[in-house]
Amino acid sequence: MKVITVFKWLRNPQDALVKADGSIEWPGVKMSANDDDPAVMEIAAALASGDEIIALTIGDGDLAWAAARGATRTTVITDALTEVNSSVTGAILAAAVKHLGDAEVIIIGDSSWDYGVVSAFIGQLGRPALAGVTAAQLQEGCIQVTRKLGSVSQVLEVNTPLVLAAMATQSEKNEPSMKQVLTARKKPMEKLTLEELGFSSPFTTVSSLKTRFPDTPPAVLIKGDDPVCACEELMAALHTEGVL
Amino acid sequence: MSMKSLIIITDERRVGGMLMAARTLSEQVIAVVVGSPSLAETVATWGFERVLNLEPASGIPAEAYAALLAEVTADIKPRLILASDMPSSRVLLAAVAAKQNAAIIGAVRAITVCGDTIITSRSMADDKVLEDIKTAGVIAGIFIGDDLEKPQTQAVAIEHIEQKNAAHIKLKGIIEPEGNAGLLTAARVVSVGSGIKAKNDIKLIEELAQAAQAEIGCTLPICDDVRWLPTHRVVGSTHNQIAPELYIAIGISGQPQHLAGVRDAKIVVAINNDPEARILKNCNYGIVGDLYKIVPALTAAFKNLV
Repeated sequence: MKVITVFKWLRNPQDALVKADGSIEWPGVKMSANDDDPAVMEIAAALASGDEIIALTIGDGDLAWAAARGATRTTVITDALTEVNSSVTGAILAAAVKHLGDAEVIIIGDSSWDYGVVSAFIGQLGRPALAGVTAAQLQEGCIQVTRKLGSVSQVLEVNTPLVLAAMATQSEKNEPSMKQVLTARKKPMEKLTLEELGFSSPFTTVSSLKTRFPDTPPAVLIKGDDPVCACEELMAALHTEGVL
Repeated sequence: MSMKSLIIITDERRVGGMLMAARTLSEQVIAVVVGSPSLAETVATWGFERVLNLEPASGIPAEAYAALLAEVTADIKPRLILASDMPSSRVLLAAVAAKQNAAIIGAVRAITVCGDTIITSRSMADDKVLEDIKTAGVIAGIFIGDDLEKPQTQAVAIEHIEQKNAAHIKLKGIIEPEGNAGLLTAARVVSVGSGIKAKNDIKLIEELAQAAQAEIGCTLPICDDVRWLPTHRVVGSTHNQIAPELYIAIGISGQPQHLAGVRDAKIVVAINNDPEARILKNCNYGIVGDLYKIVPALTAAFKNLV
């Protein structure tokens, strides 16, 4: 089963430099794998069953990341960067998937870094889709998907073509070895530009006016040098809040 | 402004917050409930102008009707589409937004109107800042803003959408988590993170939880890396998202995945010896100090309440 995976499609929000006036900068920050990207590759390996896994990324991140985790080849859209409009990023990724040809299953990390990109990607592909997916396997000609929904997990039977947004339930346990990384760098890499992809944004203008600190009051911090006094102060505050 | 808003609902999560956000620009807010008739009946009492209900066939999840939902809502032509961050809601939003050629914005906290301009405020940089975004066309937002208490209003009539053309997605089974029922409904939760040094020290947390009549939670590493507490105790976006009255985070740094799990808690208290810990910027009250000294004192304080 041919599978396309998407990785490193956003910068890590934790790497943003927040300045005193609430503005943010991204000095030297590259596209980064999110916590769910390893789960994407695990599910891809389970479904591909030895067939081709094509990895897709955008921007300037490490191209060998997915290849070191089982991708057969990698395609990067080099001049696609993080957009204010998540729909544009989603549409670029969807256009790239279409460029790569038919795949039965397409998998992206269901990352809270930007659920907007995940939804835009799913919407632009126009295929049946499931989010919050924690596992998938082939079973009797169908795909059996486990996904988290609220406090329960559902086991679902689905047909292809299909888009899955995969969610990690644990940190990556088997990071690739240096040898696997070096071997991955020799796998086929295709570099494309938006022009070569024939991409033009179909969306109306979205513009960022500013970034600012939230209006919510700052936390009340109590010094814990005297634990008993600190706890008395806290308990008095909790009484006032009505939660005791 | 007299523009329509459409809110996609698969459960009661943040319905009030989404309705209030949409009210800032729309006199007509339409709810489309992809779920049971009983959910639609509840939503019908929230104060929407119209409530549409697409009831999935037995054993078919909401996402199977994503394409149908996009088709039947196409004529509404909303300026704003909102859905919660539940996985099924986001998939439905994806289809509707694509049909409406809408700009999708994630992590929406609030909507404001300034003259003819609609400004969407979304969380950025790990919730450290808000970004105000101006959009010319249709907006589709994934809403994570504050929820509101359900108002008492007269129910509107429910308009039923005929279910057909479901994608091949069938429910084969449900895996119920073991033992987390108390955590999900608890009024108070005491949770522990990697600031605790040894497994035996969990006893301190248990004593505090008992004194505070609270359930015990933990971060993912406490379960996943050191296995000091079971999976069903993990609080976070990938495990248990909870909404207690009081959440006490002990020795927890405040990773985004964890904080997302307590976004709906009323009061968050953090105990941490690192004044720069992220949790101390994302709580209501924080005690900066050694948990091994603070926790026993807090346990005694709760015992004195009784």
